[in-house]
Amino acid sequence: MKRQTRHQYRWLVLGVVGLLGAMSWGCGAQPEPIVLERARTTYKQAAEDEAVVQHAPGALRDAKQVLSRAEQAWRSDKNAVEVEHLSYVTKQRVAIAQAKADHKVAEADWQRLSRERELVLQEARIQEAEQARREAEQARQEAKQARAKQEEAAKQLAMLQEQLGALQAKATSRGTVLTLGSVLFAPGQATLKSEALQNLYSLVTFMQEDSERTAIIEGYTDNVGSDALNLDLSQRRAEAVRGFLIKNGVNGERVTARGYGEASPVASNDTEAGRQQNRRVEIVFPK
Amino acid sequence: MVVLRVRTQQWFAILVLVCTVGLSACASVPRPTGTLSQAELAVREAERSEAPRYAALELQMARENLDNAKLAMQSKAYEKARRLAEKALVEAQLAEDKAMAASTRKTADELRENIESLRDEITRASKNR
Repeated sequence: MKRQTRHQYRWLVLGVVGLLGAMSWGCGAQPEPIVLERARTTYKQAAEDEAVVQHAPGALRDAKQVLSRAEQAWRSDKNAVEVEHLSYVTKQRVAIAQAKADHKVAEADWQRLSRERELVLQEARIQEAEQARREAEQARQEAKQARAKQEEAAKQLAMLQEQLGALQAKATSRGTVLTLGSVLFAPGQATLKSEALQNLYSLVTFMQEDSERTAIIEGYTDNVGSDALNLDLSQRRAEAVRGFLIKNGVNGERVTARGYGEASPVASNDTEAGRQQNRRVEIVFPK
Repeated sequence: MVVLRVRTQQWFAILVLVCTVGLSACASVPRPTGTLSQAELAVREAERSEAPRYAALELQMARENLDNAKLAMQSKAYEKARRLAEKALVEAQLAEDKAMAASTRKTADELRENIESLRDEITRASKNR
């Protein structure tokens, strides 16, 4: 009887110990879930990220709280399912903290870039104003130059008139035009009369004053006689004047001679006075 | 010493009783209605934000977990429902925050490009003078 009871007692002890062990160890001894370790690492990385710490400290604290609950769930309850769940939530809360930090950084960038854009636009406006000012200045200069040119042309005209005495000098769209009457030539001839030469010397001086000056010599006649003869006469007379200038040192390249015959009369050919006016040599000094 | 006289079968019966009592104590889990409504609100807000555009995947996961949480509630699986609701809540928030960050980043990038073009224009204009 005594041996039997000792045998039962041993099994009883083992049973109770086994039950207590099972109750305190859950469904047997388990290793720590890997996800918990991963959650710890994820949190640690975020906690060491300066951007996250600076811009999303609240969200980071929330993540820490959940991580603590996960640790607690493992230490005290060994509840693997709950630990896995809380590790997942920790991971997501860390991601939230990172997203919030990213948002703050992007916002700061946006602010900075907005200011930069303002500066660039300002710079552009300043440059445009500067450009406008320069263009206005340039326009003023050009206007000044144009006026100066006009004054110069007027002075030239006055000088020419002075130098060439009673001879007519006019400013036209072509330039300054000097009209020499046909008294330079004998009627129907293309040879210069000696009395005329005085006037032509003034012309020579005028041409030599400015080596850039050019002259176009145009011969005209009245309408008496044949067109062909008048054309020929006017041409020869123009060339005679040109020849005189060249003979006196003026560069031939600066002077051209052309006869126009009866064309372009300046007065009516019906009267002798008019015909006399049409018999002329014009010297054009282009602008 | 009286205990030793009880037979082994009776010990097993007591063992089973203890376990059942222990397990049924764990079965009195509260209904996670608070968490569920929080999750529902969070998902609704996320739907209204930029999340559908910039964080569609995260938002979809939140929706699915929310639906499954509701089903678990109906089946009275309250632990499961709580966990699914907690997942849905955090995923919805994440979707919203990720979307905000992406949206602001895009705006900043566009602004940067805008400044580049402005600078190019100015350089070109000054060269033409």
